[in-house]
Amino acid sequence: MRRAIGLLPENALVGLITYGTQVHLHELGFADISKLYVFRGTKEISKDQILDQLGLSSGGRGLVKGAVQRSGMPMQQQQNVMGSSSVNRFLLPASDCEYTLNALLDELQPDQWPVEAGNRALRCTGVALSVAAGLLGACLPGTGARIIALVGGPCTEGPGMIVSKDLSEPVRSHKDLDKDAAPHFHKAVKFYDNLAKQLVSQGHVLDLFASALDQVGVAEMKVAVERTGGLVVLAESFGHPVFKDSFKRIFEDGEGSLGLSFNGTLEINCSKDIKIQGIIGPCTSLEKKGALCADTVVGQGNTTQWKMCGLDRSTCLTVFFDISPSDRSNPTGTPNTHLYIQFVTNYQNSEGQLRLRVATVARKWVDDSSSTEELVEGFDQETAAVVLARFISLKMEVEEEFDATRWLDRSLIRLCSRFGDYRKDDPSSFVINPNFSIFPQFMFNLRRSQFVQVFNNSPDETAYFRMLLNRESITNSVVMIQPSLLSYSFSAPPTPALLDVASIAADRILLLDAYFSVVIFHGMTIAQWRNLGYQNQPEHQAFAQLLQAPYDDAQNIIKDRFPVPRLVVCDQHGSQARFLLAKLNPSATYNSAHEVAPGSDIIFTDDVSLQVFCRDNGKFKSELFE
Amino acid sequence: IDPKSLPRPLDGDREPTSVLKSYPLNCHPRFLRLTTHAIPNSQSLLSRWHLPLGAVVHPLAEVPDGEEVPVVNFGSAGVIRCRRCRTYVNPYVTFTEAGRKWRCNLCGLLNDVPAEYLCGLDANGRRHDIYQRPELSKGSVEFVAPTEYMVRPPMPPLYFFLIDVSVSAARSGLLEVVAKTIKSCLDELPGFPRTQIGFLTFDSTLHFYCLKSSLTQPQMMVVADLDDIFLPLPDDLLVNLSDSRHVVDAFLDSLPSMFQGNTNPESAFGPALKAAFMIMSQLGGKLLVFQSTLPSLGIGRLRLRGDDLRVYGTDKEHILRVPEDPFYKQMAAEFTKNQIAVDIYAFSDKYSDIASLGSLAKYTGGQVYYYPSFQAPIHQEKLRHELARDITRETAWEAVMRIRCGKGVRFTTYHGHFMLRSTDLLALPAADCDKAFAMQLSLEETLMTTQTVYFQVALLYTSSSGERRIRVHTAAAPVVADLGEMYRQADTGAIISVLSRLAIEHSLSHKLEDSRQLMQLKIVKSLKEYRNLYVTQHRLGGRLIFPESLKFLVLYALSLCKSVALRGGYADAPLDERCAAGYSMMILPINRVLKLLYPSLLRVDEYLIKASGDFEETTKPLPLTAQSLDREGLYIFDNGFNFVIWSGSMLPHELVDNIFGNLFAFPDISKAALCENDNDMSRKFMKILNRLRQKDPSTYQLCYIVRQGEQPRESALLLSKFVEDQSAGISGYLEWILQIHRQSQTS
Ligand SMILES: [Zn+2]
Repeated sequence: MRRAIGLLPENALVGLITYGTQVHLHELGFADISKLYVFRGTKEISKDQILDQLGLSSGGRGLVKGAVQRSGMPMQQQQNVMGSSSVNRFLLPASDCEYTLNALLDELQPDQWPVEAGNRALRCTGVALSVAAGLLGACLPGTGARIIALVGGPCTEGPGMIVSKDLSEPVRSHKDLDKDAAPHFHKAVKFYDNLAKQLVSQGHVLDLFASALDQVGVAEMKVAVERTGGLVVLAESFGHPVFKDSFKRIFEDGEGSLGLSFNGTLEINCSKDIKIQGIIGPCTSLEKKGALCADTVVGQGNTTQWKMCGLDRSTCLTVFFDISPSDRSNPTGTPNTHLYIQFVTNYQNSEGQLRLRVATVARKWVDDSSSTEELVEGFDQETAAVVLARFISLKMEVEEEFDATRWLDRSLIRLCSRFGDYRKDDPSSFVINPNFSIFPQFMFNLRRSQFVQVFNNSPDETAYFRMLLNRESITNSVVMIQPSLLSYSFSAPPTPALLDVASIAADRILLLDAYFSVVIFHGMTIAQWRNLGYQNQPEHQAFAQLLQAPYDDAQNIIKDRFPVPRLVVCDQHGSQARFLLAKLNPSATYNSAHEVAPGSDIIFTDDVSLQVFCRDNGKFKSELFE
Repeated sequence: IDPKSLPRPLDGDREPTSVLKSYPLNCHPRFLRLTTHAIPNSQSLLSRWHLPLGAVVHPLAEVPDGEEVPVVNFGSAGVIRCRRCRTYVNPYVTFTEAGRKWRCNLCGLLNDVPAEYLCGLDANGRRHDIYQRPELSKGSVEFVAPTEYMVRPPMPPLYFFLIDVSVSAARSGLLEVVAKTIKSCLDELPGFPRTQIGFLTFDSTLHFYCLKSSLTQPQMMVVADLDDIFLPLPDDLLVNLSDSRHVVDAFLDSLPSMFQGNTNPESAFGPALKAAFMIMSQLGGKLLVFQSTLPSLGIGRLRLRGDDLRVYGTDKEHILRVPEDPFYKQMAAEFTKNQIAVDIYAFSDKYSDIASLGSLAKYTGGQVYYYPSFQAPIHQEKLRHELARDITRETAWEAVMRIRCGKGVRFTTYHGHFMLRSTDLLALPAADCDKAFAMQLSLEETLMTTQTVYFQVALLYTSSSGERRIRVHTAAAPVVADLGEMYRQADTGAIISVLSRLAIEHSLSHKLEDSRQLMQLKIVKSLKEYRNLYVTQHRLGGRLIFPESLKFLVLYALSLCKSVALRGGYADAPLDERCAAGYSMMILPINRVLKLLYPSLLRVDEYLIKASGDFEETTKPLPLTAQSLDREGLYIFDNGFNFVIWSGSMLPHELVDNIFGNLFAFPDISKAALCENDNDMSRKFMKILNRLRQKDPSTYQLCYIVRQGEQPRESALLLSKFVEDQSAGISGYLEWILQIHRQSQTS
């Protein structure tokens, strides 16, 4: 935090809330001694009560948690805010409070309340967020601001509680959620949903830095982060590079800057030939209904306008359209050949300027009856895969008893039957246009990805993965669905390798980019040489270069990515090797162990391999359609 | 009647030390005084007495050097007490059976003497070791109590300060005086190195202070949720003073500036009180409350009840003088239960319901200090002195007091600041040398057969050093069959002390006028009885006669009627001042009550001009009447609480210039502070004031300067306090005497 404060623009307003059993709001502007306001952690508190208690009821100004507000407002507006003496109490320009904050951080101590035996520490994250939101709402409504929540464990008391303090009660798992056996879940989600509504109405962002080995409630808080366009980082601890480097990133300026922008609105205009179903991604429907809204709603719908409290360079939204059943003709009676979509985005950029960005696209209508060739030409496999992944994630969250695997299989079959060529009763005759060639592979990997196979992860992890899937660019999202694998060897330049155990070899280094983690995997021989220190000997410079290359490439991946991925360096047969193996296609399962080449690895799993998947789908298709 | 011949207590209180001649084993009267040192032997005799029969107990009275109460440690024998009535061994017990048994002087039970305590007897049946054992030869001793006398380890001395920092406190300069005074006393707080300390300030919110010793400066924690008070920290709101001294210093240094510009007019006193309770409840201790505003927020908020003219003289009049909200009494009960004594320092310039606030002190063994319209430049010396006294004087912690008496008599009522636990146990979370207790006796039997009645006061407490102690005062009094003897042995000081407390308590449920009349009636009846006793045999006819022992009683009673607590009605004293005076009188030791009722008036100009001589020898107090004032004179009026310096209109210029400098040029002399000027006369004068102050360290007399003819101050500050003069519709001394005389002759 100290470093972060140093990176802030001088005029950025900063405030601080710390919390545990109770919430402490620090009055940074109090000159004499360190002063803070204390709120009970067990009691839900309304915005009005907060302001009353702070003596800000008549239009004062307040603060936030580890919070920072990028000074995004025009000068005049800022002066108005500063004019009220109250604002100086809780939110101060970074340059004015750096000393106070540092002194405060020096003496900051863990929660003083004792943790009873057999209990979790008390943590009132919900009230802390309420206080932060209430203050920002009073002080800076309609001006860009973000609450940066640093969460070190689950909320165990008060509103937003995700697990009781009693250690004998485990934190809910996917199984519990499935069986509706998570007693706090719905209540907590409702609380964070209300918090999200408040933040959206104020135009403020909630960023979540969850840093704990155990779950902290990302699943419950997801709604507040996603609806406000907040950033989310999940790390094992505050000491872990995933937290430290990510946290630093958000304050960085210049090239490494995330381009954090504030308080945006997105409006979509389009030809009446199509209707808007909704958006999946970091935004909130502003419920501005109109003729352009489709009857079927996907995600944030029933509107042509969305709030984006927080957006940045990588923010990506998925808009779902429906083809209007109405007559597709213009006033002159001739059919429209094109449709138009216009995206109008209003926002405050990171320099504090208000911007209006307009993007207009035209697309040609393809006649239903004509050949599918044109349609096929326009098919974007990667985008389709990502959209499907986002869509299926949403369905899994909102539809009970939804069978994602089956739904995916059916979609693929429908696609194949429509666009594939095959002879009746002869699966081997099946061919599909090259524009679709890697799509089945995406589906195969999606099927066994963390987005669909949620039971391998905690609800927090699932929520985290999905939030990032929903907000990252197509390129990034594709990597989440289907990791990339590079192989490094003496014999060849780095080459893409199949996501298959077969790619493992003793004399190779593999670099896996699974988006959330980047794994450097040394083959057995490489590891031995390295352990013998060959790379330090001048005659083995080539080996040193071979060793270094994947590191350099990994750093290149890491430096552009937010959250900063976890870097795992491991050796074949080492315990960390599971980070790689989990992502590989089990071509060599125990069913086919005898076919395995010496030196490669066997993955013991029930996952079907890609070949089996394709073969079975072919058969399945035959059964369905012939 | 020649007014000059009327009896006047110009020498103040006279302790009835003559009792010690006939009862040398009794405790000194400074600790215990009976209203008459002769106990009536029958109900019928008592019924002719009419004055209160009781005692005034001052268990921790300060003693002159060399007369310290001896400390006795029984060691393994344990504290020797009567098996039946629990009386402590004392000089009046008798030993028999070669020292193996002792007979209790209160209940007569024959007790075994523990082997460790065994000692042979001489021919007169006295133990050989009697003069080596203070408990057998002295009326006052202090026993070291073993662990049986502890329900928990002895508590450390603990001082918690609850300070109103709202706008009025900030503006009056109060905070600076309080902070500086506390800081200057830190080295002298009793109980080093165990002393604990804590602070809480409040306006519309509560401000807690973390004083953890590892911090470099205190941390202020604001809690604004008044509905549901909670503590912001489990520890460190109350800290060991020596460990956290630097943090405490830093806090006290910052306190005045932190709230300098505070404009918050509200007072969340009730919630603050609850918070203080939560912090202190584990340990107990002294809670010092500094209140500048009427409590306006949260639980315990008080109404501006006002002082309604129309209520006076009706049956509802007294309601203004008792707490309206049961919260205060409930809190007081909780405080006492948790060994917390509450002192109230009130400073408001507006009504602040002292009646309600004071009840906290009343039931916790505390004290009410009232500085109406406090302004630092004028009042700071008084506050500084009295606050310093409060926190540095020796204090008895977590105390209980019981007074036992022999068969046939029984204490029935108790009057003072304490909480009565069971029928006769006074709970005193804190006790000190500035508080006395009064109690009344009744006879249990119609006829007493014993010759002597014994009384034993026992105060069990924790000393600041952490020792559990029992201070025991024992006294004997004869049982008499003669009313005349009761009069002869009467103690006016004790009687007035008890009467004043009874009258004040009575005024809490009756009109002021009724309380005064009741007291007057008692005196009339008593004098009438006395007449009946002697008039016929001495053929005194219509002359007014007093028993010698009660010759000042009538004048004191008149003064009591004119005291702030009881005088007149609506217009005669502001309600808060009246209530504060009442609380104050309920704890005063006898000498201070008498001084308050008949202050001393001293003429000093002659002494100042004359070169030498001892002031007290050359200057005698004057009767309290305007006739004592000479327009060429300079006078000091001293009631033990304040001085009034009266300057005659013809006071020689030399004196005016030397003593007052240019003060008389002040537009408002009430805001002028008297200070020492660079001349001998001024130095001499200030020396006199200091000597008068030193006589009673429990208080600090603030100087009010009044010039002759300066109205209305002259009346308010001085003339109205000349009890011998007629004022505010109440008779002067002469008329009063005649009135009492008349009444005692009729019916
Ligand atoms: Zn006995």
